[in-house]
Amino acid sequence: MSKVWLMPPWGLGEPMEVDATPEILTPRLVAGWSQCEPPANTQEVTTHVND
Amino acid sequence: MSTTRLQEVQICFGSGKQTDIATANLVAAMWRLKKLNAQLANPKLNTENDAEEYGKGHEFATTTFKTSWDTGGTLEKYLSAEMAAWAMCFGLGKVVKSGTTPNWVYTCTPLIPANGDATELPYFSFVEQIRPGASSVIDRLLTGCAVEGWTISIGSGPGRANSKISVEFQGCGKLTEPSAITMPAATVEKLLPSASLTLTINGVDYVTNKNIVSLETSWKNNIRMDAGFYPGSGFQTSGDATTGAIRGRLEFGNRAGALKFVARFDHSSTELTLLKAQTTGTAVIHLQFDTNNSLDITWQKVAFATAEVGETDQIVTVAVEATPIYDATNGIITAVAKCNVDAICQ
Repeated sequence: MSKVWLMPPWGLGEPMEVDATPEILTPRLVAGWSQCEPPANTQEVTTHVND
Repeated sequence: MSTTRLQEVQICFGSGKQTDIATANLVAAMWRLKKLNAQLANPKLNTENDAEEYGKGHEFATTTFKTSWDTGGTLEKYLSAEMAAWAMCFGLGKVVKSGTTPNWVYTCTPLIPANGDATELPYFSFVEQIRPGASSVIDRLLTGCAVEGWTISIGSGPGRANSKISVEFQGCGKLTEPSAITMPAATVEKLLPSASLTLTINGVDYVTNKNIVSLETSWKNNIRMDAGFYPGSGFQTSGDATTGAIRGRLEFGNRAGALKFVARFDHSSTELTLLKAQTTGTAVIHLQFDTNNSLDITWQKVAFATAEVGETDQIVTVAVEATPIYDATNGIITAVAKCNVDAICQ
């Protein structure tokens, strides 16, 4: 399942990652959400057990 | 004497969007496609004169002035996955791109300014050339164009002409001659034929019951052309007031969608019942080349405005015009276009 990042209406609030299906996207786009780049802090965090 | 055949005309235009209305696409963000119509995107220079001014001693004009420029045109094409994606993205304005090559997915909805969206559509550049170079016949670049509307027509029959799209576009007036664009290689398009149609309107599957005869659906942005001229909107040559004004914005006006179709009519047909009851439901139109190249248009809620029984080739049919209605949750229309071209309207 392809996912995309959306930012809230008027650019206010935190971006959200959602499934890229018409059923998920349509109501959000109508409500003012729009596609954005993934936030910079979404890199995977790896925990090393020996640390 | 040499003559020029119109078939020599080549066009390319922005597959990607411009960064703003005044900055033309780079050729890397343009694609070259074929078209069906002979119409050229002739720029129009509007002029005025001083005939009505006093102090000349007569009523005749002594000087003319370049007032403004109009640009725009129409593209008529066989419907392809690539053109469908482009028309939906630039015509509706709000785009989410997902997927990966070779299956890019463009989910498109109209812009809703009340919820924070822009009132300007994405802009693209349009290039038209006949023998560019030293012996150029036509070589021009129209910057700052926006889609005024699109119409998709589906008919009965095996030929490509039974699945077509027409896209009208308007420009801000900015014109560059010669274009200085080297025409890119032609894009190979994947056609979305009439025979691939699936169609469900208001609860009726018109393909399974083999009743659909023809279909036309459209979107119009009704761009406010006059509002594009405002104090400071600019000139054909930046800073030169003698070159004629150009528009600094192309805002959509009162937008309108439309859906009409003709279907065979028999004792089990429900169109007249649905009309009388003003029943509402979705209209879902699907056309495809393959799983990676398709178009889905969903009118989120429609009611029948008219349903007239007539005939098509001696067969009793019903011609229906549906009114698209805004749904509080899903809006008016969603288009999902799949193709293997990346970065359309990006």
